Amino acid sequence: MDSQTEESSDQFSGRLGLIFATIGAAIGTGNIWRFPRMVGANGGGSFLIPWLIFLFLWSIPLIIAEFALGKRSRVGTVGTFRIFAGRRFAWMGLWTAWINCAIGFYYAVVTGWCLNYFQIAIRGGLSQEVDTTEVWNSFLQSPWQVIFFQMITVLITLAAIWGGARAIEKANVTLMVSLFVLLFAALFLSFVMDVKDGSLDGFIYMFSIQPEYLVQPETWINGLSQSAWSCSAGMGMAITYSVYMRKDEDTTLNAATMCLANNSISIIAGLTVMMAVFSVSPDPLGAVSGGSSAITFLVLPEVFAQAPGGPIVQLAMVAIFFLALSFAALTSMISTVELCVRNFVDHGFDRSKSVALTGVAIFLFGIPSAVLWIKIDPSTGVAFPQFLEVQDHIWGYGLMFSGLFMAYTIWKYGWSRYKAWQSDNGVEGFNLRDYLDHGVSAFRDDYINTGDNDWWIGRWWDYIMYLGFPLMFSVLMLSYFADLLANVDDPWNPANPHGISIILLFWGVTASLFVGFNKVLISRPLFRNVPEGAETSIDMLPGGSDPHIFQVGDELPDHVIEELGLA
Amino acid sequence: MASQPSSNPGRKRLSNPGAPVTAILLPFLLSMLSPVALAPITTAQESDSGTSPEDIWSIEYANQIFPWGSHGDSDQLQFQSYHDYFSLKQRMQTLAAYYPDFLQFNEGLLGGFNARGDVMTSGEYEGWYYNHPSPWMKITGNVQGGSYNDFNGDDGNYADRPDVMLVGNHHAREWMSYEVPMFFLETIAFYYGKAGVDNDGDGLIDEDGWDGIDNDGDCLMLNSSFQDSNGDGNPCGPGDLGVDEDFSEQFITDMVNTREIYLIPMLNVDGNRYDREEFCGETAWENCYQSGWRKNLRDNTHTGVTPIPDIDEAVDEGCDGVDLNRNYQFEWGAPLGATGPLFPGFCYADGPNNDVYNGPANTEDNDGDGQINEDHVDGKDDDADGQTDEDWWGGNTEPETKFIQDLTEMNDDDMDGASDFKSTLTWHSFSELVLWPWGHCTNCYSPDDEYLVYHGQMMGQMTDYAPMQSSDLYPTTGDFCDWHYGVHNSYCYTIEIGNAFHENPEDIAHISVRNLGVPFYMIEMADDPRYRAIVGIENTTSTQWLEYPTNVSVPSDGDIPVGLCLDPMFPFSPDVEMTHLMWRFVEPTRQQNDFGPTDWIEVPWERSGFNETSVQCTLLDGSNGTRLVSLIPLPDTSVGKIQYKAMLGTTNGAFPFTYPTVEDGGNYYELSIPYRAGFGDAILSTLMFLVIATFVWGGLGFTLREMFSDDERILGMPPEEIPILAVINPGKGK
Repeated sequence: MDSQTEESSDQFSGRLGLIFATIGAAIGTGNIWRFPRMVGANGGGSFLIPWLIFLFLWSIPLIIAEFALGKRSRVGTVGTFRIFAGRRFAWMGLWTAWINCAIGFYYAVVTGWCLNYFQIAIRGGLSQEVDTTEVWNSFLQSPWQVIFFQMITVLITLAAIWGGARAIEKANVTLMVSLFVLLFAALFLSFVMDVKDGSLDGFIYMFSIQPEYLVQPETWINGLSQSAWSCSAGMGMAITYSVYMRKDEDTTLNAATMCLANNSISIIAGLTVMMAVFSVSPDPLGAVSGGSSAITFLVLPEVFAQAPGGPIVQLAMVAIFFLALSFAALTSMISTVELCVRNFVDHGFDRSKSVALTGVAIFLFGIPSAVLWIKIDPSTGVAFPQFLEVQDHIWGYGLMFSGLFMAYTIWKYGWSRYKAWQSDNGVEGFNLRDYLDHGVSAFRDDYINTGDNDWWIGRWWDYIMYLGFPLMFSVLMLSYFADLLANVDDPWNPANPHGISIILLFWGVTASLFVGFNKVLISRPLFRNVPEGAETSIDMLPGGSDPHIFQVGDELPDHVIEELGLA
Repeated sequence: MASQPSSNPGRKRLSNPGAPVTAILLPFLLSMLSPVALAPITTAQESDSGTSPEDIWSIEYANQIFPWGSHGDSDQLQFQSYHDYFSLKQRMQTLAAYYPDFLQFNEGLLGGFNARGDVMTSGEYEGWYYNHPSPWMKITGNVQGGSYNDFNGDDGNYADRPDVMLVGNHHAREWMSYEVPMFFLETIAFYYGKAGVDNDGDGLIDEDGWDGIDNDGDCLMLNSSFQDSNGDGNPCGPGDLGVDEDFSEQFITDMVNTREIYLIPMLNVDGNRYDREEFCGETAWENCYQSGWRKNLRDNTHTGVTPIPDIDEAVDEGCDGVDLNRNYQFEWGAPLGATGPLFPGFCYADGPNNDVYNGPANTEDNDGDGQINEDHVDGKDDDADGQTDEDWWGGNTEPETKFIQDLTEMNDDDMDGASDFKSTLTWHSFSELVLWPWGHCTNCYSPDDEYLVYHGQMMGQMTDYAPMQSSDLYPTTGDFCDWHYGVHNSYCYTIEIGNAFHENPEDIAHISVRNLGVPFYMIEMADDPRYRAIVGIENTTSTQWLEYPTNVSVPSDGDIPVGLCLDPMFPFSPDVEMTHLMWRFVEPTRQQNDFGPTDWIEVPWERSGFNETSVQCTLLDGSNGTRLVSLIPLPDTSVGKIQYKAMLGTTNGAFPFTYPTVEDGGNYYELSIPYRAGFGDAILSTLMFLVIATFVWGGLGFTLREMFSDDERILGMPPEEIPILAVINPGKGK
């Protein structure tokens, strides 16, 4: 409880810092190893169309909402839901934080793989004559190695966030700028490879529209899911980072910049991978449309090792690629951990202690994913971490609910504003026109188009949040479960780690625990990280009546200290 | 000549006929050295193009001089001229007298109560016209021992010896059909009890048995002008010098000692005498090369109710006679390929199909139940009275067919009520065929089809005759084999010898040689033809293979062909229900797990039929197989794997074999299929790139510029909102 001794609030140095931090959160392994596979499996250019459309239909609107929420609440996810959705819904923020944590557990392991591959690459261990399957299998089957690199990841992450917003900013700026440089270097080398091959067919495939793919629902669903995951929209990252925003920053253009930057990187990474694979692989589409870790850790080292220009260039290429991949993963790791840490700090815990606690937790709970159930795929002889895979299976789609909760918050706010308008004007009964004008648009009017922004958000955003989002959310969820029903044996058996029951079981247990825990959450004081001069008085927000919300640096009133037994 | 210097030193070293120890060891030495010995043979062939039969073999073998003694007519013994009934019978008697240990001559049957309760006299087995019973030879080791059959009149009946019936000359004009049995008889008579004879005088022993293949490669050593010595256009094929020329005498001895062989070289004595003495003459090959008298000599205008009295008692060539091979009772009278009488005893002079007249109908109440012809012989209980085939429509009306029927039904050494003849063979001519049941129906298959096919193909390979189901040639009812198989469940084959009814005399010998292996094959399988077929089929299937994924060549577009190498002996059914390639296309799911192994879409199996090609392939044992090809229809845009396996079935589905086999360790093969279609158009993709780049990179640039511009305007703000904003945030503005 010594936040009082710190600076009154913790902030990014400027707008660019926030941009870099959010871009770092958005850009992760999904851009570099998932995107090329989706392009390969969904008909090249045909995939880019839904992918781009859903960027505007899903990612940007949700990020706009996140920024708007975070900018005003000035607290992490738990506090944001407590303030905006109401005291009974603080658990929604806890869910968001937990899903991020749960993903962070195994994401640290995955980041560790990338780091390890980088160090293997610079030591020349991924040259042409190396059997990449052998490298992969022996690495995955050496638990101490995997844990070692997982630990390195956690340490780097902790170092980056230990010092708060400024440190995070520095780390993100450094890593992101390096990532851009590295990716452009890799892109150049890939381009040379594909041109030398004589046909530039990787480029051509990636940008060729195959009409039959455009009429397949799968292409559109995959475009949506890629947009939904890749930008981290609705996952609470933007809420967390906007806590450190300076007082009068534009949030809407930030959202667009962040998502467009994410997609730009996707294209660069996609082109790099596609051109390289197409230039050397006899079956390029077979290579890129298989399992994701396979293409990244088995195919790409092989492909880059065949780059023209001799061993030095080849070594450079594979090292560059894995360094870029590591950086992308690290920045996502940073945002994941920071999201958890922020929630602790919000509730009055010491930042250093919170960081240490989260770091240790991420490390310890990640160990099972690192070493448990390392299996060999009988059809290919390639090792894979089944425990990690099951974790991803369980929590991956849980992430989508955070987005739904945010939408719920916005709907709820709109409805309460409509009711308030009705009572103010003595109107009885429901009128759609009035609801549209005074309810639906309320959140946008009150928190988005605040005048700080460079980009006016129109009514289209309301339609997306009220109609488009629930529709897209349902399609995503239903298609995922329908796919499980169709393609998984015995999906209702709770013991089946790939089934549906196990997901519902974990979600159900977690959600009930959190709902039960809600009382404890809202009894804690909440400290808002408000910059000086910002007009974000708690009284202007829906949670204004919460007696336990304070600003960082406020003295706690005596009755609160007594009430909470903090004396 | 055996002592003639060979041009091949490698083989000379091996030949040392004087030493008995070496003779015993020779087969072992040979088996070990055969690959070594084969190599110089090929070079010898190339270097010495003048190799003639005499250079390799004894003069006797090279000139087809058979080793049996010069009793009687030496031309007939050497198969340079035809036997007639009398010389044939005399030769049989001579041999029986000379080799009483294993040959016993018989004529007709003695008679008595037969299996269906009729009293038969020996005279009822004598031909209608010349009144000869059919001569036959009982061949078995210790033929004087065993039990005596007082109906058939033969000794040497042993309950534990499988019986084989070999019948020649159902049809009078088919002269080779009794010469081949006589050649077979001479072979047995001469070689029984011998072992280790160098039949061809090349110094090797038993190196080339009956299988239709030049196992020792000596025919191939000949100058090519000698390789097709029988002139059938197939060099070093069955019947040529050097092919199957050195069989195992021990095998012959063993067979005779463990089987009872009933050899009936000339069943239709009446018809044969008439053909030779009246219809065609002694030199029938000159005027009756592919014609002659076929039937027996039943007087159709004399017996029974006859509207036209047969006054002169002479043979009425337009009407008389019954086709013996349409006169057996099984499915007798069904109108396929046989002529029934419109009225009993009636005959159409010069009518169509008169040559296949199946004999008079039966109007008796055979079982004495007051009904007539209520249970036809077809293996079923037509009247559902608990008895099968007890009141027949007709058939077995002739002395010759009665003889076969009673010989079969009264020969029950093990007293089990069923025929002892597990395998039966009948020789005919001509067309170079091996036929098996059924004959009475088309597009039908017997319950033992695949086994019959298997043995038939083995004998077809042995003779280079075409194997097929009898009715695939043309349907026949009431024939020998349908009766033996249909009534007595005996594996029965019909061999159609040669290319004429009356072959030229100089062809008798080599045609006989070509057909010699078949009766031995039938004798050998007589212990359990079905089991031998099962084992044989399974052996052939172990050498067959389905194309391994690395050997499948995926074409750059279109269907993907997958091959299967089939043993020609395998009784394969081309029906897609029985034989097909099972395949399924599996592709990675489009929504992959990011960290696990590749997820594949599960799809149901599909089937593609196999088509035979003329391409040869090499079976796993190195012999030649037939390549079957199945086409997998897959779009060029597919990327993934094809999993495939082959189901290889026989007609009745008794043998559904799966490839890859279990020993190959997997239930299917997996073939990676690359993307085969075009990747796209360069110009269109560049345009698309520009669109995407404009949106994404251009958009990014635009937002960044807006973000850091000092311009205070708000993007996209509708003009009417401006005053409201100004009210809400009056303090804003720098």
